[in-house]
Amino acid sequence: MAKFFHSVWFRCISVLLIISVISGGLLAVLNDILYVTAAERTARAVAKIYGKAIPVEEENIILDVDSENPDKTTPIEYEFGRIDKIFIINDDLLFQTVGYNGYKNGTVTLWIKVILQDGVYKTDKIILETYTKQTLMSKFGDSYFEGFKLTDITESYENGDYFTSETGVNSNPNTGATFSANACCNAVNCVIKYMGENHE
Amino acid sequence: MNKYRKIALDGVITSNPTLKLVLGTCPTLALTTLAMNGIGMGLAVTFVLICSNVIISALRKVIPEQVRIPAFVLIIATFVTIVRLVLDKLLPDIYESLGLYLPLIVVNCIILARAESFASKNNILASACDGLFMGIGFTLALTLMGAVREILGAGSIFGIVLWDFQIGFFSSSAGAFFTYAIFIALFGMSASQISKRRKLKNYSALQAEKHRLAEEAVNNSAEAEQSDACAAKTDNLNGTPRAFGSGTLNDSAAGELKKEA
Repeated sequence: MAKFFHSVWFRCISVLLIISVISGGLLAVLNDILYVTAAERTARAVAKIYGKAIPVEEENIILDVDSENPDKTTPIEYEFGRIDKIFIINDDLLFQTVGYNGYKNGTVTLWIKVILQDGVYKTDKIILETYTKQTLMSKFGDSYFEGFKLTDITESYENGDYFTSETGVNSNPNTGATFSANACCNAVNCVIKYMGENHE
Repeated sequence: MNKYRKIALDGVITSNPTLKLVLGTCPTLALTTLAMNGIGMGLAVTFVLICSNVIISALRKVIPEQVRIPAFVLIIATFVTIVRLVLDKLLPDIYESLGLYLPLIVVNCIILARAESFASKNNILASACDGLFMGIGFTLALTLMGAVREILGAGSIFGIVLWDFQIGFFSSSAGAFFTYAIFIALFGMSASQISKRRKLKNYSALQAEKHRLAEEAVNNSAEAEQSDACAAKTDNLNGTPRAFGSGTLNDSAAGELKKEA
């Protein structure tokens, strides 16, 4: 036994273990200090869309999966995606939607701003929040999301005019990332479906 | 002091990690579409380089030879995670723009190479300096490349729009390779010019020293001849035999000096 404690193997294992434990402890403390909360991420997204920080009051939250109010935490699920957050900001609707069926069954999360103009609901600004398993997603620039601008969401819903990655303009020919584009389309389609069903 | 000057020169010019050693090519090509990305990535790598070099240098006698690479990776990964946490909290825009390449710093060749070849063999201060100057060299290269690609590809610099003229090629991957090649060629050319000039300067200094030594040798031999002549005259006057060797010794000294020259 004493021989083992004096062996090179024991020394190797102990050095690696000690480094791991110290690193782990340090990272745990730093993670606690530097953790970015869901509320902070939401505030960042709102600031990015509106160009300035706008606080979201409790009465302006229709749905928020991270909310402290349990009545507002159930996401709206569709077969192709889900809606996690809906806020009313400056008379606009702001959605956080998750599109399914991306590359390797991954997802794409988008923030979509819907405005009411001349009695018609339109998509105004779309930004990427996050994604899972979409390796080529960083290639999708802002100009790609410009292609999702709709002039009348309700009409699109009534005509069954949903986005698909094969419809040309949104299939992203630059990267050929058809599956990632599909997830993006599904995220936008969640808004079309929701607005179509609840536009009143 | 000369040692640290050499470390600084090595990091920034002589062994510039990006343009001379061609290390860390992946982030160099992928992230230099904007100058700001270059600065962000460069500073992140510099921080990781300095911290990992210091820790690895401090633990170099403790870490067994057999597990040095896993230990280095563990230490580097810790600092990369710290950089990620800090950037995500304080600079979310840069965090987003660096994307996948930020966690990939863990396997960056520059950091592993410096840990293995320098930090594990040198003291803490020298390792910290090496990390700092290697990081500066990397940051400079990335920022310059990013600036050129941003000006030509997007018509802006650090986000400030300069003109509407844009060459899309420079924003693409092919443009990245092209710019990188041009930078390596220009850097190689100027580095060789600098090295030639330095060699020429050293050669001139050496020639001047040779000349000085040769003159000294000639003066010494002339003095020796004079003193020999004086001694011979004195001997003749006194009628005593001449002491052996004063002139011979001077001649041999002059010979040695000539040799040295």
